[in-house]
Amino acid sequence: MKLRAVMADDEDLARRLLREYLSAEPDIEIVAECSNGFEAVKAINEVKPDLVFLDIQMPKLDGFEVLELIDESVAVVFVTAFDQYAMKAFDAAAVDYLLKPFPVERLRLALSKVRDRKPGALPADLRQAARAPGEYLERIVVKDGPRVHVIPAGKLDYAESQDDYVALRSDGKSWLKQQTISSLEAALDPRRFIRLHRGYLVNVERIARIDVNTKDTWVALLTDGSKVPVSRAGYGKFREIVGAE
Amino acid sequence: MAAWIPVGAILVLVTHLSGRMPYLEAATVMTPALVVFAFVCLSPFYVCKSLPLRSVPRGKLMTHHCAAALLLSAGVIVIGRLTATLLNPTFRGIEGRFVTAAPVLAVMVLLVYEMSVALHYAALELEASRRSEILARESQLKALKAQVNPHFLFNSLNSISALTAINPAEAREMCIRLADFLRTSLRLGERVTIPLAEELGLTRMYLDVEQVRFGGKLRVVEDVNPACSNCTVPALVIQPLVENAVKHGIAMMDEGGEIRMSVQHEQDRMRFTISNPYDPEAPSTGRNGIGLRNIRERLEAFYGSAARLDIHVEERLYQVTMTIPVRMHK
Repeated sequence: MKLRAVMADDEDLARRLLREYLSAEPDIEIVAECSNGFEAVKAINEVKPDLVFLDIQMPKLDGFEVLELIDESVAVVFVTAFDQYAMKAFDAAAVDYLLKPFPVERLRLALSKVRDRKPGALPADLRQAARAPGEYLERIVVKDGPRVHVIPAGKLDYAESQDDYVALRSDGKSWLKQQTISSLEAALDPRRFIRLHRGYLVNVERIARIDVNTKDTWVALLTDGSKVPVSRAGYGKFREIVGAE
Repeated sequence: MAAWIPVGAILVLVTHLSGRMPYLEAATVMTPALVVFAFVCLSPFYVCKSLPLRSVPRGKLMTHHCAAALLLSAGVIVIGRLTATLLNPTFRGIEGRFVTAAPVLAVMVLLVYEMSVALHYAALELEASRRSEILARESQLKALKAQVNPHFLFNSLNSISALTAINPAEAREMCIRLADFLRTSLRLGERVTIPLAEELGLTRMYLDVEQVRFGGKLRVVEDVNPACSNCTVPALVIQPLVENAVKHGIAMMDEGGEIRMSVQHEQDRMRFTISNPYDPEAPSTGRNGIGLRNIRERLEAFYGSAARLDIHVEERLYQVTMTIPVRMHK
C-alpha cells in the first residue's frame, strides 16, 4: 500500500532535499508541499495523508501548532535543525524526528517506524514538554471550520470546560477547542490566568470584582459583564496572586 | 555608626569652645541633636543616588544639596535650642551660652553635611566603575558565546546537503561562504573593538550564506556613509542585529522581504539603523529579547549612557537604531 505524504517546510532547499530522498522510496507518494503552517493545516485536513514531514519554525503557525489542528491519526515525523527543548520533548514522546542535515539512511529508519506504527495518537502535551522552563504559551490556535483562528493569550477573557472541549471566550466571541482545561491551564502563565473554579480558567486582567455568593462560594464579575463561579480553592489562588503584587 | 563618634566629638568641641560651656554641658545639650543629625546624614546617600553626578546639571545639584544642608543645619540648631531650654534648670544659663555657640555650630553642620555628600559621591563612583568593569568582562564572554548560532549553522549545512545533488557548484560555493563567515567571526570575536568596515564585512558574509537558504525571499538594501567605515564599534554588535532581522523577520514572512541597513554620521554620533518587515501574528520564534538585551548591556559596558539602542515597531515594520559616540580606529 502506498503511503501518501505531505511535507511542510518554509525552505525551498529543505523541501527539495526531502523530495530527492523520497523519490527513491517507491511506496511513498508526495501529495502536497507546504511552505507555512496555515497551508500545512489546510492541506493535511483536505488530503488526509498517512504521513506528514513537519518543520518546527515556519511562518504563520509553528509545527506544534499545526499538530494541534490536525487529525491525530496522521503519522508525524518532525524535521528540525536545532532546538534543545524540542529534541528533549521528542525523545520523551518517542515520536520520530529528523535532525537537519540527515542522511538518507536515517530517513529510511523513520519511514520503517512509520510503516510499523500502531495506530495511536501523539501525546497532546508534546508542545508543553518542548517549552523552555518558565516559558508559556503566547497564543492559542483553534480550528474554525476550514480556517485557523489565532487568539493571543492577552486577548483570552476566560476558558470554560465543556466535556472534552474548552470554550474560549475572546473579543465577545466563543471558540471551541478539543483540549482539557487542565492542559490549557498548564500551558498558560499561572500569573496571568487563574483557575477560579474547576470548570473555569480566567484572565486575571479581566476580573472586575469578586462578590460573596453563598457561605463558601463566590462569583467573579468580569470586565465584559459575564459572571464566573469561584470555588474556595479558586478564591484562595486569586488572593495569593493579587496579594503578591 | 562608629564613624559618628569623632564627628560628634568635633561638634561637641565646637559647642564647648564657641559657647564657653563645660564639656559635660556641651555633650548633654548636643546629644539629642547629634542622634537626629547622625540619622539625617545617612540621607545624603539617597539624595546622591537620586541625583547622579554625571546626568544632573551642576546648578540643580548645588541648589538641592545647599537646601538640604541648610535644612539640616536649622534642624540641629532648633533641637539644640529646645534641649538647652529644657536643661536650663539643671545647667544655669545654658540657654544663653548655646545661643552664642549657635552660629559657629550651624556652619560646622553645613560643612560636615557637604563633606558627607562628597564622600557618598566618591563611593558611588567607585561602585559604578567596578560594576562597569564586571559588565565589560561579562559582555565579552557573551559575545564569544553568541558568535555562532547553532540553528543557523545546522540549517546552512542542510542547504549544502540539498545542493550537493541539485547543484554541486553552488554547494561548493556555499561551503566557502560558510567557512569565510565562521573564520572571520572567530577572528573578530577575539578583539574588543573593530573598525565598522570589518563588522559590516562580517555582516555581508552572514547575509551571503542566508541568501542561499532564502533565495529571493531575502533582499538587502545598504546605505553606508563611507566616512564612517573607520569608526570603531564593539566587535560583533551589528551582525547579531542583522541575524535577528532575518530570523524573526524575513524567515517568518511567507513572501520574504527587504532588510534595510544604513549608517549615518551626526556630529559626534554614529547611527546604525536596520529595519525589516515582520508578521505581528507570526508564531513565537523563542528567546527574542535576549539578543537585544545582550547588545544593550555590551553597549552600556563600552559607552555608559552615551550609547542608545532604540526599537521602533510599526504595524508591519521592525526597526532597531543603535547610536554610539564616534571614535576613530587607530
